[in-house]
Amino acid sequence: MNKNSSFDAGTILKIFGFVLFVYLFMGFMVLPCMNTLASIFTTRDVYGYPSPWAVVKFFLAGTMPLFVWNSLKLAVALVITVNIVGISIVLLTEYFDIKGANVLRMGYMTTLIYSGVALVTGYQFLYDSNGMMTTWLSQMFPMMNKQWFSGFNAVLFTMTFACTSNHALFLRNAIRGIDYNTVEAARNLGASPFKVLFKVVMPTLLPTLFSLTVMTFITGLCAMSAPTLLGYNSINPEIVRLAGSSAADESFPQARAALLSVILASFTIILLSVLNHYERKGHYLSVSKTKAKLVKQKINNPFWNIAAHVYAYILFVIYMTPVVMIILFSFQNYPAIRSKMLNFSDWTLINYFGTQNYEYMTSRGRLRTRVGSISGVFSNSDAVGGIRLSFIMSAIAAALACVIVVLAVSYIFKHRNKTRAFITESCLLFPWLLPTILICYSYRIFFNREVWYVFGNNLYWRENVRFLIVMAYTVTKLPFALRMIKAAFYAMDDELEEAAKNLGASPVYTFLKVKLPIILPSVLAVFALNFNALFTEYDMGATFQSSYGKTYAMIIQNMTMEEGREGYNINASGRRCASTVFIMIVSGIILYLVYGVGARDLGERLEARKRWKRRWARLRGIKE
Amino acid sequence: MIKLTNIFVKFGEFEALKDINVHVKEGQFFTFLGPSGCGKTTTLRTITGFIEPTSGTVLMKGEDITHVPIEKRNIGIVFQSYALFPTMTVYDNIAFGLKIKKLGKAEIDSKVRDIAAKVDLSAEQLEKAVSQLSGGQQQRVAIARALVTGPAIICMDEPLSNLDAKLRVQLRNELKKMQREFGITTIYVTHDQEEALTLSDCIAVFNKGVIEQIGNPNEIYNHSKTEFVANFIGDINKLEPVLLSAAGLNLPEDQNHFIRLERIHVDRENSSGNLEGVIESQEYYGLYIKYYIRVGGQILKVIEKNDGVRIYNPGESVNVIINPADIMSYKKE
Repeated sequence: MNKNSSFDAGTILKIFGFVLFVYLFMGFMVLPCMNTLASIFTTRDVYGYPSPWAVVKFFLAGTMPLFVWNSLKLAVALVITVNIVGISIVLLTEYFDIKGANVLRMGYMTTLIYSGVALVTGYQFLYDSNGMMTTWLSQMFPMMNKQWFSGFNAVLFTMTFACTSNHALFLRNAIRGIDYNTVEAARNLGASPFKVLFKVVMPTLLPTLFSLTVMTFITGLCAMSAPTLLGYNSINPEIVRLAGSSAADESFPQARAALLSVILASFTIILLSVLNHYERKGHYLSVSKTKAKLVKQKINNPFWNIAAHVYAYILFVIYMTPVVMIILFSFQNYPAIRSKMLNFSDWTLINYFGTQNYEYMTSRGRLRTRVGSISGVFSNSDAVGGIRLSFIMSAIAAALACVIVVLAVSYIFKHRNKTRAFITESCLLFPWLLPTILICYSYRIFFNREVWYVFGNNLYWRENVRFLIVMAYTVTKLPFALRMIKAAFYAMDDELEEAAKNLGASPVYTFLKVKLPIILPSVLAVFALNFNALFTEYDMGATFQSSYGKTYAMIIQNMTMEEGREGYNINASGRRCASTVFIMIVSGIILYLVYGVGARDLGERLEARKRWKRRWARLRGIKE
Repeated sequence: MIKLTNIFVKFGEFEALKDINVHVKEGQFFTFLGPSGCGKTTTLRTITGFIEPTSGTVLMKGEDITHVPIEKRNIGIVFQSYALFPTMTVYDNIAFGLKIKKLGKAEIDSKVRDIAAKVDLSAEQLEKAVSQLSGGQQQRVAIARALVTGPAIICMDEPLSNLDAKLRVQLRNELKKMQREFGITTIYVTHDQEEALTLSDCIAVFNKGVIEQIGNPNEIYNHSKTEFVANFIGDINKLEPVLLSAAGLNLPEDQNHFIRLERIHVDRENSSGNLEGVIESQEYYGLYIKYYIRVGGQILKVIEKNDGVRIYNPGESVNVIINPADIMSYKKE
């Protein structure tokens, strides 16, 4: 085709890309959410007339405000506890000179690989009324309430430790950015170590702390797995319950769920707007030309020094106990797991591999055998099915999010400072403003019928739900992918593209051979982190609840409920422990690949290759 | 070799280049010199093809290349940041342009190794990542990459600006040596007048989108055509009317008069000096000493060779000798 023709291959591709982008944006972001919003206003009253106030009146008269109040209460409490724990673990490992800080840091970061539904069920296993830790604590403190781990307390306790790893990760970067010369200057001017901490160090951390506080508040507000599994009436579990309910069971459940989603979205939008406004004002920038690395501060007062060490190690025990216990219990037989007491003389791999028959005595004294009732996580068809489904769906969604964002960012970068770039970016950031539950709920309701927009298909029907889950996974991961990949693109030297162009490379060749390899580590990191988050994702899986879309997290949840039911799935808890260990290994490998291997540049990789070659030659007895 | 005729470049309402006319001869080391935002890089980018001029023509070897795409101009570029591809080894960086030209593997290999040897890069360094090289080695890779495809000319956009002072001087010398060895026409952009004077066969001094003067380093320094050039190249004293009358110099009042620091002489014994002054302060540079002398109501900066004998101290009275032939005069604007 003539290159000057107005409809060459490039133009057709651009038009196709534009149409596809608009189609997907409208179909999987705008229309479902608009439908949810509309469902509030199209509610009909008892006389059959449309009355949006009917649902509001019902909302106010019933127990609905309680869910909102509970969510707000959890969010506020979580902000306090996460900030207290998060700040203290960063100070203990980065600012103060605490013995064994490296080990402590590793302990505090365990919730990075042990999170979500696995963490919640693990905490439940250890801390509920007959849990090992509660039993042990009640023996030490007989006055203690054995039911302490339930409802609000349980959710707050679990979420506090689940959220602090990420909190600490960001805060650690901020504290490492402090110029030590400013600390020395303050000390030189006569400030005590604690005065320096509160007057010099903490103020520079405030912007990061503010961002983290807002994000923690939103996390608390949108909490799903912990309230659902630990029994706390907050907004998200209620939305999921209502989504599965029908008008025959209760009054306008869909409209009420929609109203709750919109309330959640309103809170999120307001908070993110505040955060955005605050971030635009800018952070404190170090004006130092020669920044000095922070030197850890000794606590000179012996009392406070001991107190800090005790506090640090208590936190370490809290973080590490579930991890260690879950690993140990994953190698225990079902009687030990059921009684929640470790049996050090009997270890097994049955929770991981193989099957066993279960023999039991009936009430009439007959010995019965359930064939294959005891099975390992990799021998149990449900568990394997869940792992396989989650693996495939997470991989597809994570890859899809990366591909969409790389193409979009390439376009945004090319047309930066233009309106079209701004619009494209805003479309991709749109899901960031909406709570995940609103997107999933909207999908579930909007696509649970034959929809003209998707060629008359019902996407919630049978296996189609998997496509819907993949779309939800992809859409919710777009904002994170955009922020990370855009940063990588913008960090790239403009002159590289010019150099390639000067040497005769076409735009496609330049993209594939020059730009893509540079941003690839970031893209792979985004892929890996998104995959990691989605692989054990609970909220979306729970919202879509379908026997055709049973994700790994839902299987883990089921393991909690189905244990030992009439001799079936007798070692479900053991399998759950093994599943948690499996998740920890997968997450650990992914984080190592992202932050360990992936962070190396070409020089470091070449050096590593050289080292391997040398070792290999030495192994083969070849002298260098 | 390269001829720019009546080049105008506009960015919206802003006129970046106004009637630029330059002729770069074969084998010449030609420098575009000027302060930030004066249009020197824009001129270079017009030559390389990154910017299309609003009007005017760019000729290369007599052929109009004004609208020829970048990749077809046969111009090598060394970028300010070197723009070395970080995900490729040194070898792959140099071979990049040859691979695009679809040359055979053996030919690519021989060309890469040949140019690497010429710019003093070892076979071991070729296998390294660019991040494993020093600043000087990276510069050599950038030059090798630009030269390996056999360009007609090579353009360099402030390639030394990111380096520390010592390395700059060292690489400056290497750059000149390499240019002489390859005999390739080079267009060089810099804001550093010392760099321009030491490297160039010819210099074009830019200011606010126009060329103030074109000439060899001696012409530019000693016979600056405009007040801007005189001020921009080297340090200079502006002679105030009070001082001129004290010195008994009768110069036109509608002009500004200047003299370079090294053209003023100071003597303790010599009574034939036309001015008397007092040393205000001194700056010791080792090779020379810079004096600030109060003369006739103004401070004059003077450079004297450090011979270890004639060193004046602050407060000391000296005779200042100004030769009228060394005074440069420019019409007041």
